[in-house]
Amino acid sequence: MKPLTLTLGLLTATLTAPAMAATTLNVFTAGDDNMVEYINEFLAPRFEAMYPDVSVRALGTGPGDAGSQAIYETLSAQRDQATWSVDVAVVHQRMAGQMVEEGLLADYVDAIATGDLVSAQSARNALGVDVEGYVMPMFQSQIAIAYNPDLLEQPPESYTALANWVEEHPGQFGYNGITGGMAGVGFVFGWMYAFTDMADTLQNGPWEEDATARWEPALDQLRTFNQHVTMTPGNAGTLDAMNRGEIAMGPVWMDMYYTWKTDGRLNPNFRLLLLEPGMPGQPMYYTIPERAAEPDLAAEFIALATSPEIQAEGIVGQFNWFPGIDAEHVRSELSDAQWEQLYADVSPETLSERGFSMPQADYFRAILEAYESHVSR
Amino acid sequence: MQSARGTLLVLPALTAIALLYALPLARSLITAFRSNDGSWTTEHLARAFSLYGRDVLFSIGVVSASLVLITVISISIAGYLVLGTTPWAVRLLRWLYRWPLFIPFVVSGQLARSFLSTNGMMNGVLVETGLLAAANAQSFLDWRGLVLTFAWKQTPFVTLLLAGAMAAIDRSHIEAARNMGAGRLRCLFNILLPQAAPTLWVGLILSLVAMLSVLSVPLMLIAGNPTMMTSMMAHRITYYGDYGIANALGLFSYALTAVTAWVYLRLTLRREANP
Amino acid sequence: MKASTLLTQIGLGLMLGIVAFIVFGPLLNLAMWAFAEQWFYPNRFPTDWGFAFWERVFRPRAGAWVSLFNTIIVALLAVLLSMALAIPAGYALARQALPARNVIMLLFLLPQAFPNLPIFVNIAAIFYQWGLNGTLLGVVLVHSLPGLVYAVWIATATFATVDRSLEEAARNLGASPLRSFKDITLPQALPGLLAASIFVFLDSIDEFTGTFFVGAPEITTLPLLMFNASMGGNYQVAAITALILLIPSVGFMLIIERFLKADVLSRIGR
Repeated sequence: MKPLTLTLGLLTATLTAPAMAATTLNVFTAGDDNMVEYINEFLAPRFEAMYPDVSVRALGTGPGDAGSQAIYETLSAQRDQATWSVDVAVVHQRMAGQMVEEGLLADYVDAIATGDLVSAQSARNALGVDVEGYVMPMFQSQIAIAYNPDLLEQPPESYTALANWVEEHPGQFGYNGITGGMAGVGFVFGWMYAFTDMADTLQNGPWEEDATARWEPALDQLRTFNQHVTMTPGNAGTLDAMNRGEIAMGPVWMDMYYTWKTDGRLNPNFRLLLLEPGMPGQPMYYTIPERAAEPDLAAEFIALATSPEIQAEGIVGQFNWFPGIDAEHVRSELSDAQWEQLYADVSPETLSERGFSMPQADYFRAILEAYESHVSR
Repeated sequence: MQSARGTLLVLPALTAIALLYALPLARSLITAFRSNDGSWTTEHLARAFSLYGRDVLFSIGVVSASLVLITVISISIAGYLVLGTTPWAVRLLRWLYRWPLFIPFVVSGQLARSFLSTNGMMNGVLVETGLLAAANAQSFLDWRGLVLTFAWKQTPFVTLLLAGAMAAIDRSHIEAARNMGAGRLRCLFNILLPQAAPTLWVGLILSLVAMLSVLSVPLMLIAGNPTMMTSMMAHRITYYGDYGIANALGLFSYALTAVTAWVYLRLTLRREANP
Repeated sequence: MKASTLLTQIGLGLMLGIVAFIVFGPLLNLAMWAFAEQWFYPNRFPTDWGFAFWERVFRPRAGAWVSLFNTIIVALLAVLLSMALAIPAGYALARQALPARNVIMLLFLLPQAFPNLPIFVNIAAIFYQWGLNGTLLGVVLVHSLPGLVYAVWIATATFATVDRSLEEAARNLGASPLRSFKDITLPQALPGLLAASIFVFLDSIDEFTGTFFVGAPEITTLPLLMFNASMGGNYQVAAITALILLIPSVGFMLIIERFLKADVLSRIGR
């Protein structure tokens, strides 16, 4: 037994040693692996260079709303405690609204230097909930259709055309339903924008009690549509299935798409397009929990992450994501080539015309429930 | 005095089981029937069935198919290990079949993801050997993938138990039958299998429980619906924090194992009544 | 050699070749992914090989080291805890006349007789209230549950095979019960208890669902890391992590029969 105890002691010592030497900033992030990677590989070293006695610990809670739900549950389980174990939380829009309403988040934006670099509507209102002052957008992402030009030269450009196209090309379109991440969820929302007459109401409210009944034709159509498509396991699964040649096109997050492309993990021939009438996108938000253990460091961390230099160098330059702060502050930090690369596949005009927001929180949930009871069962 | 000391020795382990098993079990049963306002209800059960009835049927289909495959393969391997007459082949097979025994489920899921995909090694070999036209190559990452993965992972376990039970059977029975001219297949089905059947059943029931418990493999292999019940339980909780419907689904999976265990007990009792 | 024998030998060789492909094909495919740097359709083999992703998995920030440490520490602690509970329980169940012994044995059987996902989900909900979610202790407890079941079964079976007369002889010579247990019973039972420990250790290393609900995201173990990498489409990272997980599994598979003797195996669950 002795050697075992000794080994254990040694292991514990190695594990706890670095943690004791420094203050730890706990950053919880929802979303796919690439989010954790960005914080770990890009942000953390820069922040630690500024604050040598701080170490950043980034934890991923999983893709899609489930990841934000996990952060919400972590925080609400600690409601009665004096300080909470999360210093910075990166969450999706829907959960940000709910967390602000339940008083789980701190009002911090006015206190940081970069607070006035954001003027976008989505920084003030998250799916119908007023979140002004509580959130800073990390980046703006957009769901788009990726396609493989080797397999199809003339991709369908609208939801209507796509619905016809899949009947002639069964299995060639793939998406991840609504259980495997937001790309599939967003595709479904886009479907509802296209095939119900409620596109505007879904995005801006107000809530209408009888709405769900009016969705039935669109949901029935989606059910038929699903019989001709391939289901992929998760956001990454769609890209993966394209890589393996199993499908020719499918909805993806543009940020993930570009991360993979720069990594050399994606066939460089792939292209993106936005379906007509439009597809949703959303920002990821930096938030600080109301009783974070290190609120000041957390604010500094977010100020760094939303500074024009970092947004230019990291978000746009390195990862090809759309900046979270207003574009004009980022533009000057970048070369023309970098800037154009951002819009290589989708032009700024198309983006402003076909880039929609996610539905309001009530509709958000109602559409998912309706999908489960009408389409997937 | 002695029994008091014995009880004292068992008590810590019992307490652990009570806290870590009985308490959550009770909670799962109760939450399945409790509505949000605290009253008793069967609404969760009804909703679980209407939303995920297809997934329940899918789970039953997948585990049944896997169990059939496991049974067939493990009987063949165990039978050959005991009755085989070519020593080098028996030795090689004994060394080969056990490899997946302790491989974690998550890893088997990942193995299946790369091996069974359209562009995976299985299709690759089939195409190269001319057994399959390249254009017909398709992904097996659906219910077939699940069945194959479960069988791949669980067969060695059942075979290990079954071969052990068969090896323990008195060789003289087999020798006698062989001397009377019985073929090896008849020996297997008339002598070995009937005696080793209880062990086979135990192996199959444990495999059934394992397949109904595992979350990672269906999450990794199956996209969309229908899928295994475990995926949907996790989905209810991670997306909605909805314990009612998740626990109602849990009830279905308990019921499934309970029915199987009951069938097993009935069969054993009947066997013991008229041997 | 007769022609028919030759034919049988070739047929056998062919069959075994197929079995070998089924067993090793997926493992080989995984190994290829671990060293592939670029691999996409329609290439049948990776277009670029190398160690770039190994470097990526093992660089300090990537979390593989922490997960590896977590996995090992949790597994060792789960072994300690389950064995500490199972050795006295197993001894009592094997040796002493206990009231309702069969009920107790059945109780130790139940956790393996029903699907455990609902149990883990509800443990997570209970642990939230106790503040154990996301802590090392919480994960160790969750890993000890299935471990405890194996450990009690195997320990009971093991103690039942230990020769009782030696023990009684020692007692007659004046040894205290504890002394006779330590000097006589324990050494004889050691191989079986080691086997039980190996089972608990392996089970803890495999454990995914419990860690997923109770530990994540604060406590990440290798299976979780592998799962996240796989779902995130990082096939190389997933493959490398999976290879690491295979080391103990395959290693113990090759030696398990040394520890688990047939006489113990035949008594499990009795």
